[in-house]
Amino acid sequence: MTQSEKRDTERWGPWAAWRAQHRAAANNSWQKLVMQPAVTGVTWLVIAISLALPSTLLLTLDNLSAVARGVDRPSQLSVLLTGDSELAVAEQLQRTLKNWSEIDDVVLLDRELALSQFLQQTDLAAVVGSLARNPLPHTLIVMPVHAASETAMTALSQRLQEQPRVDRVIVDTRWVARLETALQAGWRWVLGLGVVMLMGAVLVLGNTLRLAIEARKDEILVVHLIGGSPAFARRPFLYLGLFYGVGGGLMAALLLGVMTWWMTGPVNTLFVLYDSPQKMGVPGVLYPISLIALGGSLGLLSTWLAAGRYFRQLVSRSSP
Amino acid sequence: MIEFDRVSRRFGQQDALRNLNLRIDNGEMALLTGHSGAGKSTLLRLLLLLDRPTGGQILVEGQSTEQIKGAAVGRYRRRFGVVFQEHRLLFDRNVRDNVALPLEIAGFSPQEANRRVRAALDKVGLLAKERADPNALSGGEQQRVAIARAVVARPEFLIADEPTGNLDPTLSAEIMTLFEAFNQVGVTVLVATHDVSLIERSRHPLMTLAAGQLTQGEPA
Repeated sequence: MTQSEKRDTERWGPWAAWRAQHRAAANNSWQKLVMQPAVTGVTWLVIAISLALPSTLLLTLDNLSAVARGVDRPSQLSVLLTGDSELAVAEQLQRTLKNWSEIDDVVLLDRELALSQFLQQTDLAAVVGSLARNPLPHTLIVMPVHAASETAMTALSQRLQEQPRVDRVIVDTRWVARLETALQAGWRWVLGLGVVMLMGAVLVLGNTLRLAIEARKDEILVVHLIGGSPAFARRPFLYLGLFYGVGGGLMAALLLGVMTWWMTGPVNTLFVLYDSPQKMGVPGVLYPISLIALGGSLGLLSTWLAAGRYFRQLVSRSSP
Repeated sequence: MIEFDRVSRRFGQQDALRNLNLRIDNGEMALLTGHSGAGKSTLLRLLLLLDRPTGGQILVEGQSTEQIKGAAVGRYRRRFGVVFQEHRLLFDRNVRDNVALPLEIAGFSPQEANRRVRAALDKVGLLAKERADPNALSGGEQQRVAIARAVVARPEFLIADEPTGNLDPTLSAEIMTLFEAFNQVGVTVLVATHDVSLIERSRHPLMTLAAGQLTQGEPA
């Protein structure tokens, strides 16, 4: 710093000077942003879509995962006896199964009782009345000792199937496994999509900033030649990237709200279909904060990447 | 004082400068001339640390520029006011903001910056056009704004590279008068030019560069 500069900055204070430079750079960048509403709007929208789409999918998957977690692993098996089996046979089998070490309890569902409940719950009395005999079999509900693994449940199911008078054993675990696998695939797909979309946003933002830098290359060169530090020259572009990113993040938070509202209906119907009392959750405060922070970080990262190499090229070509 | 001590700059097999010795004392005003490709721009680039010599050393106030690196480069350049042939004004800023740029970089307070900008513009006769768009100014006025920008931070040295290249003889003379005025208040001035009429009229020391060496004006 020259003696003359020292005198004046001492009076002004280096901290105040630094803040004034930041204020001027931020103000200058904001003016540039406002003066190009179309470019600004499109850039914000690209960032917003890149952030909001994976976020909405993540939110949906998050809700569906809660359903999968909430589903009790079937701790019971339904053993359907053959249609001609008498109640006495069913009671005999119930007693036998209760003695098995891997079985905790066995409940007998009398087919006459089951039919009367069925008739109470449906309007099919006329149809059932026209049948020659009760179509429902006696059923034993078997509860294993512990919440068994899928393998143990399958082994128990096979053993039950081998019992006389047993027509069919139902262990309904496969849909949960399918849902979990689908959700795992969904997580990976969304994460992959998110990474690709974020990279796309960085590239679009980087290109927008590269054009902004190109448009102001004279200013960069002059600043460089008259003693401005690289940080001073880079600062307006960092603010520009930050404003693009934060604006995009804000817009993404709005989009996320709209898309969540749009997804609520179908997702809640899905919950009902899986007998889940859950409702699709609205995004908490963490979501918009994360989106804005992520947008801002993307903006800064893009500027850093776009400006770094380009600045060096510009400066190496400069001449007085 | 600016001193080049056996400075060379080689690009591949080509010597842009060869063992150049040059000295400009404090408060002096000197003209540097030579044909295109003689090495004028290389010399100025080396002086402003836009490039480094491949041999010899440059001393400014006794300090070798070889030791100036990193953040110190910016501080070093702020000791110089530079006037370019194409004046390099920023056309998205008005005259005042163009002139204030070096003060903004150096971190001057707005009050002090405003005072200095007005003083510099007054000196070059453009105070009335403080808020004007540089596009609305004539070539001579634009060059005067560039000079105001070069001197506003009161640099120790004023370097001008072909400052009258695009101007007619009358305007060229006006610009030289301005340089002389700054020189009279103690600023060391180096003007690189191949404007013959300007050189003929000048009463200041002349250094002539040819093929990377001084053929006239070498220090004794």
